[in-house]
Amino acid sequence: MGEALAAVSRLPRERTQLLPGFLAAQEALGWLPRAAVEHVSEHTRVPVAEVYAIATGYSELRLTPPEPGAWYVCTGVACDMAGAGALLEATPDRTRAIDCQFLCALAPVVHDDAERLYGRVTAEDLQARLAEAAS
Amino acid sequence: MTRVSPTPALARLRGDFPPVGRARVLVHRGTCGNAVGAEAVAAALRASMPGAAIAEGACDGACWAAPSATVQREAHSHRFARLDRGIPDELAACLAGQCDDEYAGRGEYGLLERVGRNDGSFGDVIGRGAYGAAAMAATLRPEQVIEAVAASGLTGRGGAHFATAQKWRLAAQHTGQKYLVVNAEEGEPGVFKDRHLIEGDPHRLIDGILVACRAAGVDTVFVYVNGQARNARAAFERALEDARAQGILDGAAFGGDPVTVEVRSGAGGYVCGDESVILNSIEGQRPVPRYKPPFATDEGLWGRPTVVNNVETLCAVSTVFDSPPPPTKLIPLSGAVSRPGLYEVPIDGNTTWTGVLATAGSAPGLVPGILLGGPSGRFVTPEEYEVPLTMRGLGAGGAVVLPRDADIAEVTRSLAAYNMRESCGECTPCREGTQRLVQLLEDVPANRERIAALIETLTEASLCQLGGMAGRPVASALESFPEAFEE
Repeated sequence: MGEALAAVSRLPRERTQLLPGFLAAQEALGWLPRAAVEHVSEHTRVPVAEVYAIATGYSELRLTPPEPGAWYVCTGVACDMAGAGALLEATPDRTRAIDCQFLCALAPVVHDDAERLYGRVTAEDLQARLAEAAS
Repeated sequence: MTRVSPTPALARLRGDFPPVGRARVLVHRGTCGNAVGAEAVAAALRASMPGAAIAEGACDGACWAAPSATVQREAHSHRFARLDRGIPDELAACLAGQCDDEYAGRGEYGLLERVGRNDGSFGDVIGRGAYGAAAMAATLRPEQVIEAVAASGLTGRGGAHFATAQKWRLAAQHTGQKYLVVNAEEGEPGVFKDRHLIEGDPHRLIDGILVACRAAGVDTVFVYVNGQARNARAAFERALEDARAQGILDGAAFGGDPVTVEVRSGAGGYVCGDESVILNSIEGQRPVPRYKPPFATDEGLWGRPTVVNNVETLCAVSTVFDSPPPPTKLIPLSGAVSRPGLYEVPIDGNTTWTGVLATAGSAPGLVPGILLGGPSGRFVTPEEYEVPLTMRGLGAGGAVVLPRDADIAEVTRSLAAYNMRESCGECTPCREGTQRLVQLLEDVPANRERIAALIETLTEASLCQLGGMAGRPVASALESFPEAFEE
């Protein structure tokens, strides 16, 4: 947490640094716990209620902790047509659906819990990778 | 086409970077390649060809070929595809000069010319046309630059196709602090052109930025990059560092006024397609659209005149002094084709979808339709495959080719659901309307009239084009594929 707060503190104390502040904290922590949001608020001198209102406007800011070990299956149009649904069905406990990852030419696409992308994934690939990640 | 001649200042700079004549293998290690094992391919190449010059670059737009590598020799360029299946002996032979089969995969000029064809270093692009436009613009008065852009007919490639020269002119007439915001948010599903441009040839974007600054009288630039496009941001920051070191940003290299460039990352939001959302985001306000007017060119960032240009637009700006400027459009193409990737096509009255589909390894008879423009787009049907493509008709250009057995109703519902999730909630028609549209689509036969009425409300009353265009794919699907929605 200290590292994340320090990263925020290094930014200029201006309102324009709100989103950079969120991103710096999220980069360090993987999500934005209450203490991080409050620190961004204090550092940029923007009321915490307003800071939350802004944070909830961004789909990629995570205000709840990520599920450990969860992988994400892109369900953008191209991936949907290339079998994203089958990937989700084949690995129901370990994968979640997410919106377009913009790697449409390599559909279907998944990313792991560290946001590393994999393209042209088959159900067997995904199961093998998940098994490898779990071991 | 003849390229703009280098100004004396540019010629001097180029003289500092003599071309490297040695043949090399360029492994395409962009986001695309890395997602399908390019790292292992690079390692295998190094192990199997000790002593060979092996460099790394970004994806060259042939995403279908990834993981791939291109052998580059004097006047010879040959891409070897799908190296995850093994490295063919022909690759080493080609590097040694024993190969006549030049396969470059696309035309000789255009915005993709250097994309994925360089190793990311300044020296590798400066001798191949980089900064020709910025150097030229620095020798011209701002009005002359605007005239050149007006003469080229360049329009905004983010999708709206507003005349770029006109936008600059509107900002240029103001004095005092002005801003340029580069929209690299690219949050439209099915579109991946800007990240390829930035990752593969970031100096072209800087070239265009400098021309825009010269024309509109801007000295402060914000580049707003999609939060997930980390490799694009990293490539751009590296290029910016190199440009700074060469005196390109402070006016030392070519003359002209100094420009400061700050890079910002977004954090998701299709609504950022509306430029005013990006302005709010940079200011630290809620990411929601502003009422218009006032337009950004009058009151943008912090109330000051602001030009907002898309990445592809600014990259195209880098070609306006060429004679004639290449009238090309990038088409990110995915879906049911054997060669999905980023294509650059001439918009010259001869290019049709039939031709694009053939290049991508499909044929009109195999394709019931093409989704053009994602969640705010429409379906192109076979009757249109022979109609010449136009800039405006292509919007941002994102095309998803439908397979023969496509479930059009399901695709339509998923687009409507996407718009619902991405609605920022600021205005009622979009916040409530996109939700209601998803509900009504559950039973189209019973709701046809209500769907039509709701789409009219969304189109007319929404604050920005997220809501304004949310009904477009639905209306298009209902019109073009009525049978898909029967009971």
